[in-house]
Amino acid sequence: MAFLQTVDIEQRAGASVLLNRVNLSVEKGEIFTVIGPTGAGKTTLLRLINLLDRPSAGDIYFDGEKITGPSGNAVQVRRRMAMVFQKPAVFNSTVYENVAYPLKVRGCHGKTARSTVYNLLDTIGLGGYARRKAKTLSGGEAQRVALARAVVSKPDLLLLDEPTANLDPGTVKMIERLVMDFNRERGLTVIMSTHDMQQAQRVAGRVGVLMKGQLVQVGQPGDVFFSPDNARIAGFVGMRNLLRGNIVRNESGIAVVDVDGKDIEAVSDLPPGSTVEIYIWPEEVVLSKLASDSSARNNLHCMIRSLSSNGPLCTVIVDCGFTLEVLITDRSAVELELSQGQEMYASFKASAVRVLPSMQG
Amino acid sequence: MHRSGLPQTGRLHRTGSIKDEVKQEIWQALVQAVDLIVSLDTEVVQISLRSLYISAASIVIAALFCVPIGSLIHFHDFRGKRAVINVIQTFYSLPTVVVGLLVFLFISRSGPLGGLELLFTPAAIIIGQVILIMPMLTGMTIGALSGVDKTIRDTALSCGAGTAQAIRAILFEARFAVVGVLILGFGRAISEVGAALMLGGNIRGYTRVLTTAISLETQRGDLVLSLALGIILIGIAMVVSVIMNILLQRY
Amino acid sequence: MKTLLINRIRRVSIPIVITCLLLATILAGCTPAATQPAASENASTQVTTFPIIPGTPRFKIATTTSLYDTGLWNYLEPMFEKKAGVKLDIVYAGTGVALEYGRRGDVDAVVVHDPEAEAKFIAEGYGINKRSFAFNHFLIAGPAGDPAGIKDLTPEQAFKKIYEAGIAEPAKVKFVSRGDNSGTHSKEKLIWQAAGLKYEDVQKSGPWYVEAGKGMGPCLLMASEQGSYILADISTFLAFKSKVNVAPLVEKGDLFLNVYDVIEINPEKVKTAKMLPTAKAFTNWLMSDEVQDLIAGYGVAEYGRSLFNPLKGGGCTEAGCPKLEDYTVPVQ
Repeated sequence: MAFLQTVDIEQRAGASVLLNRVNLSVEKGEIFTVIGPTGAGKTTLLRLINLLDRPSAGDIYFDGEKITGPSGNAVQVRRRMAMVFQKPAVFNSTVYENVAYPLKVRGCHGKTARSTVYNLLDTIGLGGYARRKAKTLSGGEAQRVALARAVVSKPDLLLLDEPTANLDPGTVKMIERLVMDFNRERGLTVIMSTHDMQQAQRVAGRVGVLMKGQLVQVGQPGDVFFSPDNARIAGFVGMRNLLRGNIVRNESGIAVVDVDGKDIEAVSDLPPGSTVEIYIWPEEVVLSKLASDSSARNNLHCMIRSLSSNGPLCTVIVDCGFTLEVLITDRSAVELELSQGQEMYASFKASAVRVLPSMQG
Repeated sequence: MHRSGLPQTGRLHRTGSIKDEVKQEIWQALVQAVDLIVSLDTEVVQISLRSLYISAASIVIAALFCVPIGSLIHFHDFRGKRAVINVIQTFYSLPTVVVGLLVFLFISRSGPLGGLELLFTPAAIIIGQVILIMPMLTGMTIGALSGVDKTIRDTALSCGAGTAQAIRAILFEARFAVVGVLILGFGRAISEVGAALMLGGNIRGYTRVLTTAISLETQRGDLVLSLALGIILIGIAMVVSVIMNILLQRY
Repeated sequence: MKTLLINRIRRVSIPIVITCLLLATILAGCTPAATQPAASENASTQVTTFPIIPGTPRFKIATTTSLYDTGLWNYLEPMFEKKAGVKLDIVYAGTGVALEYGRRGDVDAVVVHDPEAEAKFIAEGYGINKRSFAFNHFLIAGPAGDPAGIKDLTPEQAFKKIYEAGIAEPAKVKFVSRGDNSGTHSKEKLIWQAAGLKYEDVQKSGPWYVEAGKGMGPCLLMASEQGSYILADISTFLAFKSKVNVAPLVEKGDLFLNVYDVIEINPEKVKTAKMLPTAKAFTNWLMSDEVQDLIAGYGVAEYGRSLFNPLKGGGCTEAGCPKLEDYTVPVQ
């Protein structure tokens, strides 16, 4: 059995089902990220694991022992875990008292407690803050305090519920690094939830995709990212350019898909005649002025419908008979002198096209 | 105060307008209040200390019950919680005379608790006052705790706190509001007349408190003295409130 | 884990200690022995004593508001406490309530001035050993202008005239009644009866008749404000004379006699009345020279005449005065 194992967990609130037969296995010492859109049930799941709520059905096992059910001693179990919530929650007292609180409730006072707390404050970069009133901290500082407070009692399992939502990028990176450090140096098992796919990629060992209360895919971030099990996951992880078509030919693993009259070559084993949904990553489409500039298998003539700049990148919507979203650097956009209405060639490799059997039909 | 016991004579001047008269009386009351305080008039000191003591005892006893009970009601979710809170709030406006009468019937020597000989003692006043302020203390403790973010409860629990520890953490977060509730309860207790009169009997040197003394002096027609005592009563309440707030600030 | 246990003990013990301290203060009934400050005329000066653990025994009496308001008890109380070695607790209320305290055994003796109610009280078995110790008179006071023209009539005649004038011209002629079943109120009802009127009729006859439901002093103040007639006892009237604008109009009449009695609560009937020996001592003391002399001089300096008259020496000569044995024979 895994270090943290949920067995057919169900959670209902009135008529709505928040979690539907979730079976989560987290191994000791790993960082497991639960990703999913808002409302998927991530917070619900973490709260159940932390025994803050009771599941409508199913059981949870922690380190081999069942922790749900009437016989469990919730307080003792919770003392082996710790949780950081989405909204930075600090007590209305000093930073020191906040971080020392878990030690206090375990009856730990005195010199050891003090040194542990002060060392931890240094680690999170709030060295001189011990006497500060916690309510005066910024969101990022408060969340760091919450994190320190979570690890001060040396728990076996750390739960983080979207810990970096609403924080500035600098703090996000800092917290991610701290989590990874704690995981590595203390062997602290971490279950983290996020809706940010990129964060999952940066931090996680494995990820699990939770959608509408169901754990639909578990694996390495790359697997989920590049080989989503279905269209919904694909849509969630940020894939764009979802197109439907039919495979007309398949020659040694290269399938030709007919999309709205145009032929697209993709890597797939599916036989001809299959109705498929294909995805093309916006980053993997190259724009050029001339057809012959690219060696990719797919070269489509298209017209630029719109351009929009976001940060260092530029999103270009082109019309090749079907709509394609292309992501290039601002610099490239400038070099190519892109403008609306311009005619270009969009090219992408066969391997950039993901093919999934169609969900319907 | 009354060295002779006889009601004071000759203080009503029918000359001058009503407004002047009232101003005159209020001014005289202020003067007398200061005089009584500064000269540390024995009887006034005794009565004031008794008021203070009885009200403090009432609030401490009531708080010992109401704060934990209120905390538990707030902390746990159960069916009928809303109804319980509604009932508690209904009893905020318990008429003091009714409570006084009911307690009287109980502790009168011919009542079920007669053997304890509680009637016409300070303890009887305390009992009456405790009953009066308990609903308010409980309900408003719940209110004060409800003002604390729900996350605090979860945070405390996830830090490994047991139920009692978590409740204490929430109480600590709400400490300003909770102290405010205590001050309110103290104020209600110290300004209590009806029950104090009925249960204590306003016995000189034993159960006479500021409010009952005011009632007596008003009845005897010494309105200025009544006002003076009233001023002293307000002064005491103010001092208590200030002290509580200072203590709060430090923690 | 040891620290856990120690902390748990620490946590639990603090509330326990606080509760114990609290209970200790509440139960601390140990009062100093009843050595009263002899020189000062102030009453006992403990701040707090509680009854549950007995200290000095407490002897409780109920008296009427009007008697209490005169301040006479402020003198009598320390004297008796010193003499008997008990704490004297005096509660005051209207006669009806005072007697009710007696019936319930919440007090050990009552001092009232309502012969009819007292007779009933004794007949029912609640009271024993009634003695009288002082007397004074009622009077009818009213606006100096005397709109109803009652000056120097008999009490019954005056009341009749007020009744008729009040019905005719309620704006000019008004009457304030205690309306609280006090001794004064009972006396008032007697006078209405003597005037040939049924009390219910008087009550309902018009807005001229006001039932205040307050003590004697506040009623006098009300009568003063509204220019009403009022029946008052001489002691309260004198005490309030300078504060109010009412003139004494009718002072002579048999019905005005007001006798103050002390009645002990009967332990046979009221099981909880405990202090009969002290009650007897109290009764006898009220009839003693010490008290009678005090009563004779009470108020002279302030008002020019005493508020009460002692019964000793046969001072009461009119009809209705108590018999000799009622104010001289000690209770055994």
